[in-house]
Amino acid sequence: MLSSVLLRGAARGNAATLIKSVRVSPLKAYSTIVANTQRQVGTKPLALAKQISPIVMREISVSAPRMASATGSHTRLWTIERVLSAGLLAVIPAAFIAPSQVMDALLAISVVIHTHWGVEAMVVDYLRPSVVGNVVPKVAHIALILMSVAALGGLFYLIKNDIGLANGIKRFWAIKGKDTNQ
Amino acid sequence: MLVNEARQVLSRASSLAARHQLRAISNTTQLEQQAQPKAAQEPQIKKFEIYRWNPDNAGEKPYMQTYEINMRECGPMVLDALIKIKNEMDPTLTFRRSCREGICGSCAMNIGGTNTLACISKIDATSSKPLKVYPLPHMYVVRDLVPDMNNFYEQYKNIQPWLQRKNEAGEKKGKAQYLQSVEDRSKLDGLYECILCACCSTSCPSYWWNAEKYLGPAVLMQAYRWIIDSRDENSVERLSKLKDPFSVYRCHTIMNCTRTCPKGLNPGRAIAEIKKLLSGLASKPAPKLETAALHK
Repeated sequence: MLSSVLLRGAARGNAATLIKSVRVSPLKAYSTIVANTQRQVGTKPLALAKQISPIVMREISVSAPRMASATGSHTRLWTIERVLSAGLLAVIPAAFIAPSQVMDALLAISVVIHTHWGVEAMVVDYLRPSVVGNVVPKVAHIALILMSVAALGGLFYLIKNDIGLANGIKRFWAIKGKDTNQ
Repeated sequence: MLVNEARQVLSRASSLAARHQLRAISNTTQLEQQAQPKAAQEPQIKKFEIYRWNPDNAGEKPYMQTYEINMRECGPMVLDALIKIKNEMDPTLTFRRSCREGICGSCAMNIGGTNTLACISKIDATSSKPLKVYPLPHMYVVRDLVPDMNNFYEQYKNIQPWLQRKNEAGEKKGKAQYLQSVEDRSKLDGLYECILCACCSTSCPSYWWNAEKYLGPAVLMQAYRWIIDSRDENSVERLSKLKDPFSVYRCHTIMNCTRTCPKGLNPGRAIAEIKKLLSGLASKPAPKLETAALHK
């Protein structure tokens, strides 16, 4: 289940990267042309080169606007995210009240996936193809998946071969400074 | 879109006539003031720092221009000050305005760091701090305080903001009313009042970052307005158009939209209701009255 969810996320990231914005209405295109022509008329020939570049970069479409990433449903993933978030309210206290390997594993999985989705939202929001290019978002997304997998692996190692997650945190919390140590 | 263009044209054309009228009005008030034996009030100067950018000046960067206004001779609202500047100080200052009473949404701008309507935003005349006025954030600027609203209107068009019925042939238009119970009608309160000024959408970081894919709070609230309308029969189709990762789900519920809305509406709640409907945690209730009863 974990891998399928992660892959869904990857597909979402790719969709964000691949699909370009073509939502330029004919009217806007027309007004842009008019505005740019007016602009050019008023400018010196020397400044013309500067003025032309924005026109070249603008995508002008006469076809009906297509909503970007119109495909794919996000509803099930959203529901799972909410259920998991609500579940954390029960899993976190339970793992500390009754520490066991099963509860530790549940805690590790839910916390890592929860964090993964949170950071994924940041990657989608802030590493946009229109700002950073097409490569960086993909690299960031793959790096995020690797980090999440590594974090989960590390936590499982702690649970399997050491004192476990909840106990580990408890012990870490119990460390006292020299002054209070008698 | 067309309304928008017309507004701009009208704003420019009528400015001359309006200037004469306003002068006439201000002259009479001056006469009235002179008629009353009043002690001469010393001027109360308020500074306005206004974002200026003119596409006609090639290569020019946007800059802030400071205007000083005597508040004794100016109306109480920011729009009054802007009109005063345009009439008496700088006719090149460009902004949209129409109804001057908070119902048309033309004069939406960023005033003192908050997206709001200039016509219903009161000037703090006592503060010595200059009042900063910017266009709506993260929008392409056409000129000065005029943002390019094409994308916003395109998105509004995309949610098909009109009543849709399955049996259009059987229900001849204009023949009879559609019925709606009082309770069903009350679900539209807080939704239909939206004037589409775009204050909420342009206060939303998700809309700043993904404006071409995320619909934004204003448009989503109108989407919900039609989804939840008991007379509309296309809510399933409407919802299925919103289920992709970007249209709705870029909303992270930070509620900037609700906080900034100059009409006191709650787009954040409407988006949450859409998410509940999409996930199946809630479902649209059946109409309390048979909508097409009078068509039979």
